[in-house]
Amino acid sequence: MSKRLVVPIVAVLAAGMSSPLLRAQDEKWNNVPPRQATYNGKQPSGPTPRRDLSGIWDAAQTLGVSGATEHPALFPAGPGGRGAEGGREDETGITRPLPYTSLGLQALKANKPSGPGVRQVDSLLTNDPAGKCDPLGFPYMFLWELRTLNVVQTRKQVIMLSPFYGNYRVIWTDARKPPADPDPRYNGYSVGRWVDDYTFVVETTGMLPKTWLDHAGRPHSDQLAVQETYHRVAGDTLELTMKIMDPKMYTEPWLALNKLPLHLMPDDFDIPELLCSPSEFAEYNKLVAAPVLRDSSKK
Amino acid sequence: MANKFGIACFLVSVVALSVPLVAHHGTASFDTGKTVTVKGTVMEYVWSNPHVLVKVDAKDDNGNVAHWVLEAQNPVTQASRGWSKNMFKAGDEVSLDITPAKNNQPVGEIRGRIVINGKEFKESQ
Repeated sequence: MSKRLVVPIVAVLAAGMSSPLLRAQDEKWNNVPPRQATYNGKQPSGPTPRRDLSGIWDAAQTLGVSGATEHPALFPAGPGGRGAEGGREDETGITRPLPYTSLGLQALKANKPSGPGVRQVDSLLTNDPAGKCDPLGFPYMFLWELRTLNVVQTRKQVIMLSPFYGNYRVIWTDARKPPADPDPRYNGYSVGRWVDDYTFVVETTGMLPKTWLDHAGRPHSDQLAVQETYHRVAGDTLELTMKIMDPKMYTEPWLALNKLPLHLMPDDFDIPELLCSPSEFAEYNKLVAAPVLRDSSKK
Repeated sequence: MANKFGIACFLVSVVALSVPLVAHHGTASFDTGKTVTVKGTVMEYVWSNPHVLVKVDAKDDNGNVAHWVLEAQNPVTQASRGWSKNMFKAGDEVSLDITPAKNNQPVGEIRGRIVINGKEFKESQ
């Protein structure tokens, strides 16, 4: 290509890159929910739809993008601090202890989380599935980094798509029964039903026992059953309550989420992706996690 | 010690309360009671998961260079704070407040004042 042609082409491209029109188009992509959201902008109007969860729902306002759960997964700590040192085997002394069985306590100790909390270990030493970019499974995907969900509803399914780790799950609404003796799956088997026009209840069973409940390494067994209740309290607000039932690991059911509000985003909101790449993770471990390891003999 | 690595940094303050990051890892490996200012030249800026990384070469008074690797959060979180893939470029002169590693390796978490080519960058709230 001649120099006479190249110069004008470069000039045109440069002008285009900085043009208001191009920037306006870019604003349609990778929308990030406001961190201190007011949600006073483009809100949907009109009556609350009946028996409808479809839309783009954001939890970041409440969660601060993670972890404000009933039994905080990210920051299980005692009253005197947030557990920055980590290193404890169990959760003794934390402010909201879980009702572990002896088997549950044993399983907890085997899980070595790197997330903030009293049990955290150096990042390189964790056996967290997330640290290998393994599938999180359910309910881990909802109890860590629950940010923005794209919910699609069909005649027989509610499909929940999360950009975090590329998770998705299918909830059947065709009145089928949960499988009696299922092959375990990362996300388990979910069936949902409307108990009234604005309350949707989901029962999930059959999750793989090797997955964790959350980023703090809370364990579960093959007996885990999770009940979610989605209550649409207004057109733009959904409340999510999640009950954990696992008699092998916990002496009684407990609430992981209690009326956690999810906010309806504009229908043109483009959720940015947040995927786990094994090669990027390996590079991170080489550049950061390995050098900062406190006890280098454990490398 | 920071000086051991020949770096142009200094201890700024001791923070009484640690503020855990919302991240795939906690703060166990980092000294959350300290803030260190790293002044140097950006060698590489990596906009990737699980953490955005800024590699900075910093010289001390004797001309010794330390190769810092400084992490932020993931790109989505950083974008919500006003960062972008174009925020740093190789050759930028920067001054970054960081939480240093406990074991004194030249690795840290970016947290606090950010100055790029003499201009302070204010993160979105």
